[in-house]
Formats: sequence, C-alpha cells, structure tokens
Amino acid sequence: MSAPAGPSMISLEQLTKSYPGQVEAAVQSLDLEVPEGEIVVLVGPSGCGKTTTMKMINRIIEPTSGVIRLQGEDVTHSPADQLRRRMGYVIQQIGLFPHLTIEDNVAVVPRLLKWSGDRTRARVDELLDLVGMDPSVYRSRYPKELSGGQRQRIGVARALAADPPVMLMDEPFGAVDPIAREKLQNEFLRLQEELRKTIVFVTHDIDEAIKMGDRIAVLREHSVVAQYDTPERILSDPADAFVAEFIGAGASLKRLGLARVRDYPYADWPVAAISDGPQAALAALDRSDETSLLLLDDQRRPLRWVQRQDLQAAGASLDRAGMAVRAMVEPTATLAGALDAMVSSRTGGVVVVDGRGGFLGTVDMGVIMKAAEDMRAAAQDSARSGGPLMRAASGT
Amino acid sequence: MDFLNYLQRDSDRLLELSLQHLSVVLVALAAGTAIAVVLGIVVARRPRLRSVAIGSTGLVLTVPSFAMYALLVPLLGLGRTSVIVALVLYSLLPIVRNTVTGLLGVDPAVVESAKGVGMGPMRRLLRIELPLAWPVVLAGIRVSAVLLVGIAALGAIVRGPGLGELLFAGLRTIGSPNAVNLALAGTLLVVVIAVVLDVCFLALRRVTTSKGLR
Repeated sequence: MSAPAGPSMISLEQLTKSYPGQVEAAVQSLDLEVPEGEIVVLVGPSGCGKTTTMKMINRIIEPTSGVIRLQGEDVTHSPADQLRRRMGYVIQQIGLFPHLTIEDNVAVVPRLLKWSGDRTRARVDELLDLVGMDPSVYRSRYPKELSGGQRQRIGVARALAADPPVMLMDEPFGAVDPIAREKLQNEFLRLQEELRKTIVFVTHDIDEAIKMGDRIAVLREHSVVAQYDTPERILSDPADAFVAEFIGAGASLKRLGLARVRDYPYADWPVAAISDGPQAALAALDRSDETSLLLLDDQRRPLRWVQRQDLQAAGASLDRAGMAVRAMVEPTATLAGALDAMVSSRTGGVVVVDGRGGFLGTVDMGVIMKAAEDMRAAAQDSARSGGPLMRAASGT
Repeated sequence: MDFLNYLQRDSDRLLELSLQHLSVVLVALAAGTAIAVVLGIVVARRPRLRSVAIGSTGLVLTVPSFAMYALLVPLLGLGRTSVIVALVLYSLLPIVRNTVTGLLGVDPAVVESAKGVGMGPMRRLLRIELPLAWPVVLAGIRVSAVLLVGIAALGAIVRGPGLGELLFAGLRTIGSPNAVNLALAGTLLVVVIAVVLDVCFLALRRVTTSKGLR
C-alpha cells in the first residue's frame, strides 16, 4: 500500500459497523485516508460493505466504533445534519424530490444554509449551466419531465449546490443505459478537472473504477482493504489473487484505456500531398521502410492509404487510388479507443488528427505494443522502488 | 307536484337544516383529520402500534350509532356535542389508514437523499414526506367526509342538528300526507351534500397537489 499523495480530506480510523444479531461486522476496523482533491473509488463484490462504508462518512449509517475525520476534525459525534450539508450526496436512484421544481431541488441546501434569495437563484442558474442544462428551459420543470441522464445531472447539481468540499457518490451512474453512462462519466471527469472536489465514489464495476478513480480501494468482505492504489498499479501489480481475480481478464487491455494517444510517439508512416501527383508519392514511399503511404489534401487532412502498386497503376490523378482513410482519432483518445478504431476499420493503422481534421501522425500496432510494454515496466519500477506514484507515463 | 310545493314552502327551513348538517360534518371532519393524521404519523414506522391504531379505529366503525350514542350521551348529554364526538370517532379509520399508506409509500431513495442534504426529521416530515403522501391522505379524508354526511343524519336521535330531523319527523308521522315529503326531502338533501363535498375534495386535490406529482 502506498501513502496518500496530498493532505487527507477524510480519514477513517478503525471504522467498524456491526449489526445486532450478526456475528461478523459489516465493516471491520477500516483505516482509509482520502487525499484532498482526488476521486477515491471503493470497489468490490456486492455485499463487501462498500456502500455501508460510504454511508458512514456522512453518518446516514452510524458507525459502531472508530473515528471519522473531516479536514482533521473529529466529526464522529458532531451534529449529523450540519455535517451532511458539508458533503454532497449522490445515490444511484438519485432521489430528486418529485414534488419540487428543478430549481427548488437544487436550492435545497443553500436554503437550509439560509442563503439570500438572490444568491441562491444565481447559484442554481450557475449549476444548471455547469451540468449542461439551460436554466431558462429547465428551472421550473419537475423531475418526472426529465430523462434519466438529465435527472442524474440535476442530482449532481443538487449535491454541488453549496460548494461542499466533499462529494459522496454511490453508484451514481448505475441506473442509466451504457451510452448515457459513458457520457455522464466523461462530463463528470471534465467537471472534476475544474472543481477538484474530494470524492468518494462507490461502484461494483472495476472498469468504472479504473476510469473514474485517481485511487482505487479494492475491498473484500467486511470492507477489508485488499489493495489501495492507483489504477495503473492495481492493473499491473495486483496485491493478491483476490484483486487479480476481481480485475478479471484483460488487465493489459484495461491499461490501454488509461493511456492517451498524445503521450506516445507516433509511428513513422510516410505522407504525401495528393496534389503533388504519383511520382512525388512514389519517391516518398521509396525513402521510407514502410509499404503504405498516406495521401493528404491541401489542408493536410488525411484522404487515402496507398501502396506501391496503387501508385504505379494510377494515372495522373490519385483521387481513386488505394483506399479511403476510415480510422481517425483525436490526440485525447485512449490507446484502447485507437485500437478499437483500428480493428473495426480493418486497417493496420489509425490516423491521429487535430480538432480541425489536420494530420498529426499515425498509430499502429507497434506503437500500442510499445506503450503497453512501457506501462508495464514503469509500474513494476515504481512497485519495486515504492516511491511516489506517477500516472505511468501518461503525463497527467 | 305535492313534493315540489313542499320544497318551496319549507325552503328556508330546509336550507337551515342543510347548513347545520354540513357544519356538523365539517367540524367533526376537521377535528378527526387533525387527530388521525397525527396518529398516522406516529404509528407509520412502528409496526406494532400501527396494527393497534388501525385495528381500534376499525373497531369504532363497527359500533352502531345507537350504541355509540347510548355510551356518549351519559357523558356529554343530548345534542350537538355528542353528535360531533361520535362523528370524529367514525372518521378516524380511513384517514389513519391512508396517512400510514401514504407515508410508507414515499420512495425510500427520496427520504435518504433528504437525509443526505441535511434535513432533520421534522423538516423531512413537513417538507418531503407529508407533501408526497398528501394525495393519499386527502383521499382518506374524502372517504371520511362522505361517510360522515350519512352517519350525521342519525344524530337526530339525540336531538342533534341537521337533516336527520326531517327523517325522524317523517318516521314519527308515518301514514300522514306529509311524511313522505319529509323523508324524501331529507334523503335528497343528504345525497346532495355528499355529492357537493365529494366534488369539493376533487377540486381541493387539484389545487393542493404539486404539479410534479400529477
């Protein structure tokens, strides 16, 4: 286990919850430090006590023994309602208040804290904007008039309303379909870039944990920490057989989902401008060791892949030579995304383009194999040295 | 033709008796609602008390009016007070039962997130749980209202106010030409009051239920 990077926002010390009539505790002597500004994911099989653990932090469930600290202050016995107003709370079922408008839902905590009407109203509009919902359209609607994804956004807005330092999220994206979930996750990560909240996030889905977490606590029964580490380290260096089994097959593939295309050197495929004609393209192909060449238009946007025989067979025009480029990604795409594009387009390479579609480079199988190798080596290095963790080679 | 003449001739008195009838019902309903809603809130999350409350208010409904007055009059005397107390007792079951059903029907996730934003028990009850249970509670009050309009007619046996007086007068003078008119007028007006109250409650439901729940 590694020491947390920043100062702790939340510390759990010997936290235990046992229910009367049950021999074994639901949560047994848990120690956990949640560093300020990070997303810590509690992940584990169902019944492992992860939700109970999270609900003890805002004392929806009162611990049997142990200490909860918030910014160093012992809040184990402080008034629960005041404590909860300092922690945003998002649950899977969302639990919007159906009889209140969206505005009134979001304004609940500011009003409990007795903010002025003007300040509350301004804050509601700001939050609706932040979660991508036009205040003038949605302010006076009711929860039942929204889609699942929109309700989820309002749930997040309500939790953020009084700008609490801490957010507790229990399977917050569990109730929406996979496409909406992906979108909500990405939006939330983008939001978190700005907000830098300290977040405790519960899920049973290891892929979600890897995607969302700065740090993951893999829990086994009775909420015992099997491993508490960065996603990279958990994937490349699982602490024991339980963690390895929980990650499941495909840890290397999952690791590719953590790395961004922009952080690795591109492959060296030759390019030529289509307007320069076949001879120039042939010459460029001859100068390289590769067998294919990428044709670009005058704005350097990728057009077609061609091989030697395509260039030789082509007349004066290259407009129909070879095959059209189908697989393109942006530099922020993950290597897993690039691999997926590569496989589904049935070509050996994927073209990286900037926001305007201009050519930046190509990624092929060699790039991905090399990246996977680097990640494994980096993770093992840091495991051996036990030094401070970096997001392995991803540069974030 | 006789009946219409009768209605016209006695219209002042009929109106007065109808208003008395309505007033007895509304006073008893208000008191009964206050008692039953509080009782429902207290017992909703306590299974043992809940069965006691629903069982005993249900038992009250099986007591015939005659027996009820035989028990109440020695304590409260003849007249309006005895009638109102009897009606309050009869009104309890539907309202208690619906209050309990309504409160238990509130989505646990909503209650949990009310806790999670830092609302205390009282605030949760008044701002979240009761408003959400309200349509069901109101349906109970409506059932009690219609029930009481009928039962109130029997208040006349202890000299209570209201339309029962017409019915009993008709019964006493049976065979006389006016007897049928009296009984018919009493019955008709009881039905009219019941229907009017019912419609009022439908309107009240529309006005007092959040748009988010409709």
